[in-house]
Amino acid sequence: MSTLYLDRPSPLNRLNPITKLVGVVSIIILVFALPYWWAPLAILILVVVPAALLARVGGRLLVVSGVLLVPLMIVIIVAQGFFNPRGETILFSLGSFNFSLEGLLFALAVGGRTVVLVTATMVLLFTTHPGKLLNALSKNGMPPKIAYVISSTLQIIPSFRTRADSILLAQRSRGLKTGGNPFRRFAVLIPLLSPLILGVFVDVDERSTAMEARAFGSTAKRTALEVLPDPLVEHIARWAVIIVALVALALSFIGALPQVSWPL
Amino acid sequence: MTDMIALAGVHYSYPDTETEVLRGIDLTVDAGQVVGVVGASGVGKTTLAKVISGFIPHSEGGELSGGVEVDGIQVPTSTLADVVSRVGLVTQNPFNQISGAKFTVREEIAFGLENLGVPRDEMIERVADVVELLGIEELVDRSPYALSGGQQQLVAIASMMVMAPRVLVMDEPTSQLDPSGSRLVFDIMESLASKGTAVIVFEHKLELLRETAEVLHVLADGVIAATGTPREVLSDARTDEWGVGATRFTRAARRAVEQGLLPKKTELPVSLPDAVEVFRR
Repeated sequence: MSTLYLDRPSPLNRLNPITKLVGVVSIIILVFALPYWWAPLAILILVVVPAALLARVGGRLLVVSGVLLVPLMIVIIVAQGFFNPRGETILFSLGSFNFSLEGLLFALAVGGRTVVLVTATMVLLFTTHPGKLLNALSKNGMPPKIAYVISSTLQIIPSFRTRADSILLAQRSRGLKTGGNPFRRFAVLIPLLSPLILGVFVDVDERSTAMEARAFGSTAKRTALEVLPDPLVEHIARWAVIIVALVALALSFIGALPQVSWPL
Repeated sequence: MTDMIALAGVHYSYPDTETEVLRGIDLTVDAGQVVGVVGASGVGKTTLAKVISGFIPHSEGGELSGGVEVDGIQVPTSTLADVVSRVGLVTQNPFNQISGAKFTVREEIAFGLENLGVPRDEMIERVADVVELLGIEELVDRSPYALSGGQQQLVAIASMMVMAPRVLVMDEPTSQLDPSGSRLVFDIMESLASKGTAVIVFEHKLELLRETAEVLHVLADGVIAATGTPREVLSDARTDEWGVGATRFTRAARRAVEQGLLPKKTELPVSLPDAVEVFRR
């Protein structure tokens, strides 16, 4: 299964998936609504990192987000630091290029928002089993067909990869050369695609039969085997963060947020 | 006895073809009966399974004529939802019977019940019963996609059994199973039949059919070429001609007759108990 979920006995893992999802969405709204360069950094340090440590996924978060975000941040900081048109306060120069404070702060604001978006989402994915998330979403009104598309994609793609490997193995056993330069590797895809795609069409037909045989097309009101705990305190917490995020968004929209230094 | 499956003069051809895959099929299965259908590959077994379970004509389309009555309803004029609530279908490819919608075997088995809106308490009980019956307790918390083909087939069978269909159609259900798994599936068929389920099984494992099926039909070129008890059908000299083959016991006894070791009029054995009986004489 293609999932980032880590089965750890943490309080965050035990939270209702909807609570975590609402929390992440609210955090993302907040970082985009607050026009301060330091806001994403503050949310990262005060909310996301403690949550990751509490869930015992700090190391994993560091590795995965580092691979994704460090190159991105470098590009944003270099580009904005040297080329931001509002750059006035020069911090240092490289040849004829000046690195400005305004560009750096803009880069921190834009990049920081991306960092928070990615890391908060990762904490959600690390601590939430996709099946539970989909169960919770279905229970809260998501159409079962959409839940099916997501869950089947998560589960079937690795099997699809296994089938591709089997086809390649069969073709190699009949003398097909799969190694070599990139052009040759690309050429290998051609004999692979035909059986793989035809196989998928057969699968789709058989799977739809199996789904219908199990009443997937039924119009009855669906029930659920797994019931996720959703205590009152989580309901209150969800509404609290939603209100905070919406207030911040509304204040930002009408320009009523107080001006702090370097508003962006 | 009540006919749970009644096919009368069924003809069928797939969409955009004129060739008839089924050409006048007459067949009945009573409540509590296990009926087997054998035949070479490509003679229309899967097509017949889909006709009985309603996917033909409801999903596949094509030209279907003749009477198809299952559990008292006319399949062609009923809705597919109505048919599947009465008929369970287990097919030969276990991978494609796993829904992909669920992340554990327990949830996978309950998937059909969830779709039908069965209350949670009843669902838990029914899933537990089926899991115990099939002896798959150690699999329930695993991902259905982390199982072997044989284990997936057991899960697929459990997923059908839990819906308690009055008619069960099994299209080569043991093709991915080892001998003990195959034995288990046939034992389950007998158990379901003893509780009143009508079971029709399309299968190549002749010895197991001999022990389990009350009636055996041979399907050849879209028609029922022979009908009788498994022993009558499987000891027939035309089994090779039908593409069904013969069990090792039948072949051994036939050779013994040819070599004069057994009398010419010996009723040929099909299974081990038959063989013991014949050779003891």
